[in-house]
Amino acid sequence: MIYILYMFVFGFLLTAVIGLFASWIDRKLTARFQYRQGPPLLQPLYDILKLLKKETLIPFGAPKLTFLAAPLFGLIGVTVVSTVLWVNNINPQRTFMGDLIVVIYFLMVPSLSIILGGFASGNPLASLGASRELKLILGYELPFILAILVAVIHADFSIRLGDILEAQARNGAIAVSWSGGLALLIAVICMQGKLALVPFDIPEAETEIAHGVLIEYSGVLLAMYKLMKNMLLFVLPFFIIIIYMGGLRVSGLHLLYGILEYVGLVAVITVIRNTNPRLRVDQIMKFFWGPVTILAIVAVLLALGSY
Amino acid sequence: MGILDTAFLKSLWVFHLSTGSCNNCDIEILDCLTPRYDIERFGMQLVGSIKHADVLLVTGSVNRKCIPRIKRVYEQMPEPRLVVAIGECALSRGAFMHSYNCPVPLDHLLPVDVYIPGCPPKPEAIISGLVKLIEQKQSPVDEVKE
Amino acid sequence: MDRQEILQSIKDRFAEEIVSVFEKSVKRVYIEIKPGAIIGMAKYIFQDLGARFNIASGVDGRNEMEVLYHFTIEDNNLVISLRAILPKTKLEIDSITSVFAAAHWIEREIHELLGIKFIGHPQLQRLLLPENWPEGVHPLRKDYEEWDPDAIRDRGV
Repeated sequence: MIYILYMFVFGFLLTAVIGLFASWIDRKLTARFQYRQGPPLLQPLYDILKLLKKETLIPFGAPKLTFLAAPLFGLIGVTVVSTVLWVNNINPQRTFMGDLIVVIYFLMVPSLSIILGGFASGNPLASLGASRELKLILGYELPFILAILVAVIHADFSIRLGDILEAQARNGAIAVSWSGGLALLIAVICMQGKLALVPFDIPEAETEIAHGVLIEYSGVLLAMYKLMKNMLLFVLPFFIIIIYMGGLRVSGLHLLYGILEYVGLVAVITVIRNTNPRLRVDQIMKFFWGPVTILAIVAVLLALGSY
Repeated sequence: MGILDTAFLKSLWVFHLSTGSCNNCDIEILDCLTPRYDIERFGMQLVGSIKHADVLLVTGSVNRKCIPRIKRVYEQMPEPRLVVAIGECALSRGAFMHSYNCPVPLDHLLPVDVYIPGCPPKPEAIISGLVKLIEQKQSPVDEVKE
Repeated sequence: MDRQEILQSIKDRFAEEIVSVFEKSVKRVYIEIKPGAIIGMAKYIFQDLGARFNIASGVDGRNEMEVLYHFTIEDNNLVISLRAILPKTKLEIDSITSVFAAAHWIEREIHELLGIKFIGHPQLQRLLLPENWPEGVHPLRKDYEEWDPDAIRDRGV
C-alpha cells in the first residue's frame, strides 16, 4: 500500500514539478545565451495546461488504440523508473535483486513509446522520424550499458542499486576514480542522446520534417508527451547522480551538494544543446559506435584493474 | 476566467502560413522571434506542425490555387483557434485587388480575429496587434451597443 | 569580338530578315525581325556568338502583339533583344525549344497568359494557372473579361 503512495507522490508529482523546473532552467539559459529575455518561471506549466484545453484530433488512417495508448506507456514507464530510484535513494535497504536491470529496461520505454506513436500516426513524416529514433536507440544503448557496467564493477559485481549506493557511502563517489570519471563522461553523452536533444535531436527536427514524430498529436496526448519529456529531464540526471555521485542524501551540506550536482548536470545539457549543430543519422551512428564505445571499453578495463 | 483560460492566453503557439506573398511580411514575422523583439518572453513559440498551433498567422494575397489549401490547413487546427492577418495583402489583397488571380479577400474565407496593417508592418506593430488580441480575449467587448 | 563587330556581323548575315535596329544605349540593343527568322538568328546568336538566353517576354499592343527574346553577351556587357511582331489575326511563331531547352517553360507561360501559339513546342499546355481556369481565356490580354461570378474586383467592402 505504501508503494502506491510512493509511486504517486514521489514517482509522479515530485518528478513532474522538478522536471518542469529543469525545463524552465533549460529555456532560460538558452535565452540568455542568445542575448534575449526568456520565458517566465511558470511557462512550462502554462504550456501543459494550455494543451489540456485543446481538442484532440485522431487521424483517419491511424490505428486508434495504439495512437491513444502510446503516450500513456511512456508516462507510466517514466513513473516506474522514478519510483524505483526514489525508493532506493531514501532507503537503500529496500533494494531487490536486479532492480538495476529493471531501471535500464524501463528507461527504454519512453523512447519506445515515441516510436510507437510515430508509426501509429499514419503520416510518412512521422514514420521517418520514428525510424530515425530507432537508429538513435541502436546507437547509444551499448555505451550506456558499458558505462553502467563500470559502476557495477566498482560495487563488487552486484546489480542492486542499494549496493551501489552503499559502496559509494563506504569508499567515496565512483566519479572521482579514473574509470568512474570516464564513465561519467560517456553517460552524459548517452543521456543527451536519450533525451533527443541537439546534437542528437534528429527524430524531432523542427525545420527538417515539421516536428517529425509528434506531427499528428494534439491536445491531451501532446500534453502527456511533453510531460514525459520533462520528467525524463529529471529522471536521467537523477539516475546518473545515484550511480556515480552517491545519491541525494538529505542531511545538511550533502543536500546542497546534491542540488548543485543536479543543476550542474542540467546546465551541462543546456550548454551542449546550444553550442552544437544537429548531426545526421549516419554521423550519429559512427560517433556512438566509434569513439564513444572505444572509450567505454577502456573505462571497463580500467575498472576491472581497480583504477 | 478559469485557470485553463489564463494558461491558454499565456502560451500561444503560432504557425505561419504564406499564401503567395512577396515574403516581406514573412521576414518581419521572423524578426519578431530574434533577440531584439523577442516574443518568447510572452510564451509564444513557432511550431512546425499545424496540429500544435493556436494562432494562424496568414500573410500574402490569396491565390486561386491556394484557396482549397488554406481551408484544409484551417480545418486541421484544433479548437480553440485564432487567425491573424498580417500585412496589406492579407487584409484586402492590397495592391492586387484588381488582379485576375486573387478573387476574394481573406475574410471571405476564414474568420479573422486581428488585422495588422502595414506593408510590411514593423515588428512593434505585430507585437502590439498580438497584445491587443490577448487583451480582447481576456475581457471580451460586447458586440453592438445601441 | 567587340561590340561593333558583333552588331555588324549580325547585320551582315541576316540583312533581309532584320526590319530595324535600335541602339538604345551602349549596353542595350533592340533588333526588330520578321517572325519567320527567329530560329536562324537564335541559333547564330546562341552558338556562334556565345550569348546566354535570359528570358522571353510578350507584349499586347493596340494592333499587334510582340514577343521579345533577350540574350546577354557577358564579355562585352551587351544585352540584345530580338523583337518579333505578330499580327492579331495570326498569332503563331516558331518555338526555339529545338535550339536550347531553356525556353520550354517561358513559352508555355506566354502561351497560357497571352494566347500566342508556338509551333513545334513539345508540350504546349498551361503551366501556372489553376486547373479550373476555362480554356481559351487569356488573362493578360487587354480585352480580358472576368469569367468568375464570385470574384470581387474592387475593395470588397
